[in-house]
Amino acid sequence: MPDVIAMGGLNTALLIGVGGLDAAQGALDATSNNIANVNTPGYTREEAQLSELPETDSNNEISGGGVTLDGLQSIRDELLNVQINQQTSAQSAADTESSSLQQVQSYFTSTGTDVASALAAFSSSLVELSGNSSNSAAQLGVLSAGQNLAAAFNSTASGLTSAQTAANQQVPDVVSQINSLAQQIAQLNSQLAQVPAAEDGGTTQDQLDQAVQQLAGLTNISVTQTNNGETITTGSGTALVIGSQSFNLQSATGPGGQEEVLDSNGNNVTSAITGGTLGGSLNIANQVIPSFLTQLNTLASQFATEFNSAQAAGTDSNGNAGAAFFTGTSNLSSAAADISVGLTNPSQIAIGSDGSTGGNGNVANLSAALTSALPSGQSAANAYASIVFNVGTAASNASTQSTAIGDSLTQLTNQQGAVSAVNIDEETANLMRYQTAYEAASRVVSTVQVLDNAALNMGSNTSF
Amino acid sequence: MRIDPNMVPDLLQELQQSQVQLNTALQQVSTGLRVNQPSDDPTASAAMVQNTIATGDLDQYTQNVSTALSTVQTANSVLSSVVTSLNSAVSAGTEGANGTNNASDLQDLANQVQGILNSVVSAANTSVGGSYLFGGTSTATPYTADAASPTGYTYNGNDGSNSVAIGDQTSVQINLPGSQIFSAAGNSVIGSLSSLVTALKSGNSAGIETATASVDSALNYVGQQQVFYGNAEIQLNSQETFLQQDKVTLTTQASTLIGVNESTAATELSQAETDNSAALAAVAKVLPNTLLNYLEPPT
Repeated sequence: MPDVIAMGGLNTALLIGVGGLDAAQGALDATSNNIANVNTPGYTREEAQLSELPETDSNNEISGGGVTLDGLQSIRDELLNVQINQQTSAQSAADTESSSLQQVQSYFTSTGTDVASALAAFSSSLVELSGNSSNSAAQLGVLSAGQNLAAAFNSTASGLTSAQTAANQQVPDVVSQINSLAQQIAQLNSQLAQVPAAEDGGTTQDQLDQAVQQLAGLTNISVTQTNNGETITTGSGTALVIGSQSFNLQSATGPGGQEEVLDSNGNNVTSAITGGTLGGSLNIANQVIPSFLTQLNTLASQFATEFNSAQAAGTDSNGNAGAAFFTGTSNLSSAAADISVGLTNPSQIAIGSDGSTGGNGNVANLSAALTSALPSGQSAANAYASIVFNVGTAASNASTQSTAIGDSLTQLTNQQGAVSAVNIDEETANLMRYQTAYEAASRVVSTVQVLDNAALNMGSNTSF
Repeated sequence: MRIDPNMVPDLLQELQQSQVQLNTALQQVSTGLRVNQPSDDPTASAAMVQNTIATGDLDQYTQNVSTALSTVQTANSVLSSVVTSLNSAVSAGTEGANGTNNASDLQDLANQVQGILNSVVSAANTSVGGSYLFGGTSTATPYTADAASPTGYTYNGNDGSNSVAIGDQTSVQINLPGSQIFSAAGNSVIGSLSSLVTALKSGNSAGIETATASVDSALNYVGQQQVFYGNAEIQLNSQETFLQQDKVTLTTQASTLIGVNESTAATELSQAETDNSAALAAVAKVLPNTLLNYLEPPT
């Protein structure tokens, strides 16, 4: 007698059919979620993870085990995220510097009230005085051109200072944004810790990645994956987040009025913050603008000294030795902001050199003070030209850098998009694919049902 | 390979870039300037500081030249009239010395020379724009009558002179003090005329002859001093030409540094407009197209 053939039977087919339905439904879930989130920032597309079930082997009779839905997997590339974070920090710093320098360079643009225009007007007023030394209008012209020059120094210095203040004021705001993001990340870390290591963090991971990228825009960060989630440090290893714990940065005003960043233990970490809005603001406030201000102050102070000594070499229209034309430059650190004209009357301009009232012998000395080399080694005009060059170069570099990093960031974002972004065409195709699979699987179930009925009714007259 | 399905950021970036280019091109065409702020070209912006100063100075040098020229020309013509007057004085002296004149004739001649002396003194006191041409650097009236002085006049000016800047390293002396022209030791115009008046009044032929000779020598001396003004005039005229050339040089330099080449700017503008339209067209074309457009709606 032959062995009874032990087939899987209709029940097996039914189970496989139901498994197919489950799988198709899970895949449809993933697809619909992807389509729903097509424009959600930070969303990472999901794929249904399907796998074959093991075959059943019954008395050498092998039959397929059907399909199972392992879960939904978010498709992401953490390495790309790290690169994107780095470039985001760099671009954000360059953008911050660029926008601040745009403001700064407007004070060095030829507008008629800038230092270059004022120097030119002062110089030509002295040339005019040389030709019309006894003309009171020409004398008044020199005095008012001198006042305009002092005012141009004042307004340029105040423009630089206000840009510096604006950058400084940004620091506490950015620090508090960093702290709140760090707290958010720490919380997400603790949520992720509940997810088994082998599984994807899904939505929580998406949120975490996005928060980290926002953080990267604020300061330079370094991210390490640990068992407890992501460890995030800024500067040279200052901890912001370790597992579920976050560490607050603090901002403080230093002795020179500059903003400083302190770690949670109160150590000054300002110099290690180089990226992001915070790094850009600190660089502008503590390095870039102070360097321009120093150059401007040096120029104002040295020029005033040079011109005053030329003035002292002559005699004014009242027969007195020339009094100081420019005053207020004794404090080098604020010479450009403080410079003013000390003379109150055009008759105090030291026009003569021989004590007579009609001589113009000293005008040539006054003019020479504008062209002779100052202690810095450059004439006033050239020293100012150097500042213009430095400001222009800094502004141009920051904007070029921002563009260059922007290009590479776009490249990286495209790569990330290629991995993680939702493609509507792809999802539409999947929708049709899984719809068909679902329909086919339901057909299997209904077919088995028909067959079951047929088997149950075997031998019954009513069925034929 | 899967590509980034999200084209919006790329397209927006391209759109933004083409708009930036369009703005730049428009700004260049409308301002005529390639450099509108230091970052556009730091080197050119720095060089423009010097150019601005040099241009301002240059305009003023040109004005100084014309002011100085008028001063020098006035002085020169005053001295020419003085030379003419002195020639008349020499004629009068020569006539007075020929021994045929009676006392009344000599008195007439003495009056004539006194008149010449007065006109020379008034010439020496010429002022232009409130400044005396021959007072040195003093603002006092150069010559005033002084009974105590042997010549009848005192020089109140000084020996100084003024120079006017007419270039970065160039200045021109625009006056000689009266003490060098009208009352120089040994060749004093005023002194010799005054002596001639005295000699004519005294009627001493030999004295008149000596006095006439010294007026003649003073005449020659004034002629020599006049050369100074002639030279100054030549220098000023040639400086004026130089300044005009320099002005062209500076203007050219400024336009090279920060100006825009109009044909290039126009080309760039039209290029930027084309790029911008293309970017816009791309956005309009790409965005609405998906697989959904080609599917039958579900029944």
